[in-house]
Amino acid sequence: MGYDDWVRRETSRRRFLRRAGVVTLTVGAGPTLLAACGDDDDDGGGGGGSTTAEGPAQAPEATGRVDFLSWEGYDIPDALKGWRGETGVTVKSTYIGNHDEIQTKLKAGGAGAGYDIITYYQGYKPLYQELEILEPLDEQKMPNLKNLFPYFAGDEGNFWLDEDGTRTGVPWTWGSIGITIDTRRVKSMPTSWFDLLEPEFKGKVAIPDDPTGAWALAAHVLEFDPAATTTEDGEKVFDLLSQVAAQSTGISPSFGDATTKMTAGDADVCWQGWAAMNQFAADAGVDSFETEVPKEGSFSFCDAYALPAGSDNADAALAMMNEALDPKVNAEAAVFLVGGVTVADAVPELPKDIAGLYAYEDIDALLERSPFYNNPPVESDEFVTFQEVQRRWQEIKAEADA
Amino acid sequence: MRKPLSIGPLVLTAPATVGLLLFFVAPLVAFGVYSFLTGTLYDVASPLTLDNYKDVVETDVNRRLARNSLVVGGLAAFFSVLIALPMAYWLRYSAGRWRGIVLFLIVASFLASYLVRIFAWRSMLGRNGAINRGLEGIGVIDEPLDFLLYNRFAVTVALVHIFLPYVVLVLYAGLAPLQPSYLETAQDLGAGRLQRWRRVVLPLVAAPAVSAFLFVFVLSAADYVTPQLLGGTSGIMLGVQVQVAFIGTGDFAYGAAMAFAMLAGFLVLYALLALALRLTRLDRVRFAA
Repeated sequence: MGYDDWVRRETSRRRFLRRAGVVTLTVGAGPTLLAACGDDDDDGGGGGGSTTAEGPAQAPEATGRVDFLSWEGYDIPDALKGWRGETGVTVKSTYIGNHDEIQTKLKAGGAGAGYDIITYYQGYKPLYQELEILEPLDEQKMPNLKNLFPYFAGDEGNFWLDEDGTRTGVPWTWGSIGITIDTRRVKSMPTSWFDLLEPEFKGKVAIPDDPTGAWALAAHVLEFDPAATTTEDGEKVFDLLSQVAAQSTGISPSFGDATTKMTAGDADVCWQGWAAMNQFAADAGVDSFETEVPKEGSFSFCDAYALPAGSDNADAALAMMNEALDPKVNAEAAVFLVGGVTVADAVPELPKDIAGLYAYEDIDALLERSPFYNNPPVESDEFVTFQEVQRRWQEIKAEADA
Repeated sequence: MRKPLSIGPLVLTAPATVGLLLFFVAPLVAFGVYSFLTGTLYDVASPLTLDNYKDVVETDVNRRLARNSLVVGGLAAFFSVLIALPMAYWLRYSAGRWRGIVLFLIVASFLASYLVRIFAWRSMLGRNGAINRGLEGIGVIDEPLDFLLYNRFAVTVALVHIFLPYVVLVLYAGLAPLQPSYLETAQDLGAGRLQRWRRVVLPLVAAPAVSAFLFVFVLSAADYVTPQLLGGTSGIMLGVQVQVAFIGTGDFAYGAAMAFAMLAGFLVLYALLALALRLTRLDRVRFAA
């Protein structure tokens, strides 16, 4: 089946699920059906089962060393200190500077063999499946999956669960993109992404070097699905990105660098801003950053732990993933990373400022406005592809000098 | 009688030879092969093709970034040698008791991380940086100068700063065998200060200066970190494209072709400079034993 077929089928499936939800509420059969859904979840396929036909889920005995490959901080060193002490497990971390380093390290000449845990942003799932990076996860060994918010347990987008119920990822941290401003120089929060194109922001816009993120945001703003934008519509998206790039003095290699640029006064506002930037700035002694999602909404990102092919300590890896869904650990990780929690019982554990980042009381509404998207397809004749986005982004980066 | 073969040199150079073969030549050959294969997603496959090289040459953005690499690399190399040569000369012949201290400071500058130096320039050249603040403070400007940062100028300044210590040391070593008596003899023969420089010093340091120029040019033109942090949209260079091919798009064959195209460019430059030295006979100038 080609990607285009997959998109059509997926769209139909989502429509069906939405309709099914409406029917459930309309006929007033909610309690019965919800109970049935709960049972299904408990079977594991829905991602949250603590008891299955095979008996209660139980974390495996963890020993030895876990080889970890992801962003710095995603090994949540402080929050997992107790677990490491109890089990004697050591974590050897390799940190990345760019998400694409994960697949590069895993695929380039087999150099990646031996990693036990990686993380993936939900949009990378089709690519990682194409590259045969993801191993199925045994839910029987992760009892804490039951702690997930229903949204993350349900996984309508098949980001962490395949359609047949096979789990490929454990969502544990997330966030939404917004406009970040430095209120020392920008007195009122822009209400639209298009405000950033105004002359007052010429040379004042910071942009992180995140091609797929920039693409997802621009496509969303123009009301296209970033994973299924036709080549014709794609030109409109690239054109918007070119206009945004022309408002900047350059693309920052990271969110940290975009923050530094703003704190130094070399930029006032950030396209593809992030609430964590407020904290990064505060840590640098600047507490004047604010981040808000403008009227068009934005996109959200969720990172999941996964077991890469070639792992030689899967049990310890699964035990570590399970531990990350412990409410206290999940909350500590959110504080450390200034992110969102995926575990409902973690919310009360959060300090007020971190809990206030996202509207946990209505996650569905928040994610309706700022959805999780897939990356563009790897191959397609109809839609803009992942490689095309990467290639055109490089042109856009250098375009201002053309 | 034939001289017996000494195994001393072979033994002494064996570790370096093996290291180079394993960690330099072998990967180079592998990527050379990659560059003629067909790129698949994060992999390569047959058949052999020249399309990768064709794409590298025909892509407009590559040509633009190659021009940036040429300009920034050339400027960084030129100014590094230009600034380092008088410094090295002063260190060799006039520094006196300061020689040890200055050489120590030059070596000590290597202790500062590459990234720290880049960020130091950012804090110097930014809108609220030391230069703008200073100029505003003394009333020279009313508004911060925006052209100091996020362009080729900023990249060139940082690269000159980063590579200058290496070039000073290379040229200082190049001048070391040039005894002061050479210059005294030239002076006794009636050569003025400028003539001594032109006819004695420069011919003798021409080869080390060209080596230093190439060293800085190659490292600067292929750099992909400094341009991203200081270059803005006008200072990005070709090295960034190689990084994107390997890490972003996962097209190893295209990335390898681009790397080899850059290598070919560097070799052409090397050949041109070597030819220039040869035509001017400066390659034959040697210090007397």
